[in-house]
Amino acid sequence: MEKNLLGYYGEQAALAFVRQEKGYHVRCCNYRNRLGEIDIIADDGHTLVFIEVKTRTTGSYGLPCEAVEKRKRRQITRVASAYLAQFDLWERPCRFDVIEVWPGDNGQPGIRHIAHAFLAERR
Amino acid sequence: MFARIYGAATLGLNGHVIAVETDISNGLPSFDLVGLASTSVKEAKERVRAAVKNSGYEFPMRRLTVNLAPADLKKDTSGLDLSLAVAILVSSGQIPEEACEKCLFMGELALDGRIRPVNGILPMVLEGAAQGMKTVFVSRDNAAEALLCPDLTVYGVDTLCDVAACLTGEKPLDAARPEPLAPDQLDYDVDFAEVQGQAEAKRVLEIAAAGGHNVLMIGPPGSGKTMLAKRIPTILPPMSEAEALEVTKIYSVAGLLGKGRLLQQRPFRSPHHTISMAGLVGGGSIPKPGEVTLSHHGVLFLDELPEFPRSVLEVLRQPLEDGVVHIARVQAALSYPSRFILVAAMNPCPCGRYGFDEGCTCSDSEIRRYTHKISGPLLDRIDLHVRVERPAYWELTARRRAEPSSAIRSRVLSARHRQQERLAPYGCTCNAHMGHREIRATCQLTEAAQQLLREAFDALRLSARSYDRIIKVSQTIADLAKEPVIAKDHVAEAISYRNKMHQP
Repeated sequence: MEKNLLGYYGEQAALAFVRQEKGYHVRCCNYRNRLGEIDIIADDGHTLVFIEVKTRTTGSYGLPCEAVEKRKRRQITRVASAYLAQFDLWERPCRFDVIEVWPGDNGQPGIRHIAHAFLAERR
Repeated sequence: MFARIYGAATLGLNGHVIAVETDISNGLPSFDLVGLASTSVKEAKERVRAAVKNSGYEFPMRRLTVNLAPADLKKDTSGLDLSLAVAILVSSGQIPEEACEKCLFMGELALDGRIRPVNGILPMVLEGAAQGMKTVFVSRDNAAEALLCPDLTVYGVDTLCDVAACLTGEKPLDAARPEPLAPDQLDYDVDFAEVQGQAEAKRVLEIAAAGGHNVLMIGPPGSGKTMLAKRIPTILPPMSEAEALEVTKIYSVAGLLGKGRLLQQRPFRSPHHTISMAGLVGGGSIPKPGEVTLSHHGVLFLDELPEFPRSVLEVLRQPLEDGVVHIARVQAALSYPSRFILVAAMNPCPCGRYGFDEGCTCSDSEIRRYTHKISGPLLDRIDLHVRVERPAYWELTARRRAEPSSAIRSRVLSARHRQQERLAPYGCTCNAHMGHREIRATCQLTEAAQQLLREAFDALRLSARSYDRIIKVSQTIADLAKEPVIAKDHVAEAISYRNKMHQP
């Protein structure tokens, strides 16, 4: 499977997961500005959730969630700040989540949801 | 939600109450720690998060800001962990704020929520009590030390859970009780009775102990200099309450206080001659107390004096003269007390026999180089110079036991008592601490003593400092003799102990 196709597959699986399983209201997919991109932005009740989706086919490069390292966290933080500024949502409680997706055996994707995956990274 | 909880930190020997202010608000989740925190305090973030989570409480994943006030004071202690954790639990509504009123929290957190002991508890609780705190939570190992401050209710706790359960009222704790103290016992495993002969050296050490004067013992190897020095603590007077508290504070900050008891014995420090300048007077980017401070109110014994680097010995000048060291470094400029009795020992020459035994193999220049390693100004500050002879065979094998330490100590005590009565209005406790003004005001010499002193001053070309120091030693000799006035004999004895080196 090609790289961007795999990413697309993972994001679609994650989207379906948060909509159907979690019941979040998805505000935006692939929110993008010049600083970077956030895969999913959703409302979990009053809480605003920024979700990074990581998809992997093999475990040979470590867990997918380990790929969200410091630089990536800083990038997500910056984009999230820009989003909050754009829609004036500063007074909302926020959260950063990571969703891991891997292709399952029976065609069903495997999904692991890590809520509160990390804190805002400013340095 | 906002909460303010009190912890404490030390800077030098002083405790400081630190207000740990936390605020939880909406926005991107983060954990920011501000207020001049050192690395060990910044690392507290990770310890606190793990400890809170592993204690079964919720760590608020929201925008968390912590401020350590006063913000201009450098905090360098892991002891703020506990106050930080409690502050977070209070501001996230898991502990009622009223329960923490006038409480002081001190302890380092382990990742599983256990509480570890920290250094400097005594100065911190004293400062806390002075600022009106009523209750203190510390690690169980620190409880005995915290109890040295009588005005506080002390809880010795094992885990963060215990603290939280106590504050929410779920599981009240019993306040720590002071262990019944064993009666004031000053046990030493050495005694002057074991030293045969050495009458002159013992006399000099008695004078030193009675008046707090500095001593230099010169003698061949194996003559008993170290043996004598080790027994000095056995004849020193016990520390007063205030002195004991001061010394205990120093040891608490230095992390050398074992059982958390008030120290009873005067300190006796004997650093190796490879010690560095910073090790002797204190150092570090936030200066830590050195050996001169650790021997405050006690004895600093420097064995093999000429082996110490000269630069290291020269830094002793200020503490010897003023009883205090001021150390300025990048992060802080601090003063540490350092009023000790300096006891030094040395050989007369590299082979150790010059002037005592036949067969010294050293050349004149070698001997001069050896003795000149110690500067005149330093020797000038040592009032009592004594030759320690190799004991004779009949002295070593004598059956009669020498005078025990207890007998010498009782004479020292009565001499100290006379000094304290005389010097009380001037705030000194012993003769060595007298300044020029106190000497003028309290020391009385007979006509003959003045005459002798005048002659010695001209003949020996004494410095002004030497002159003062001779009077101080004479006064101590007079105190030991229970004489109210310094007589000619006392002055003569004091002069006989003057510096014998560096003289043509």
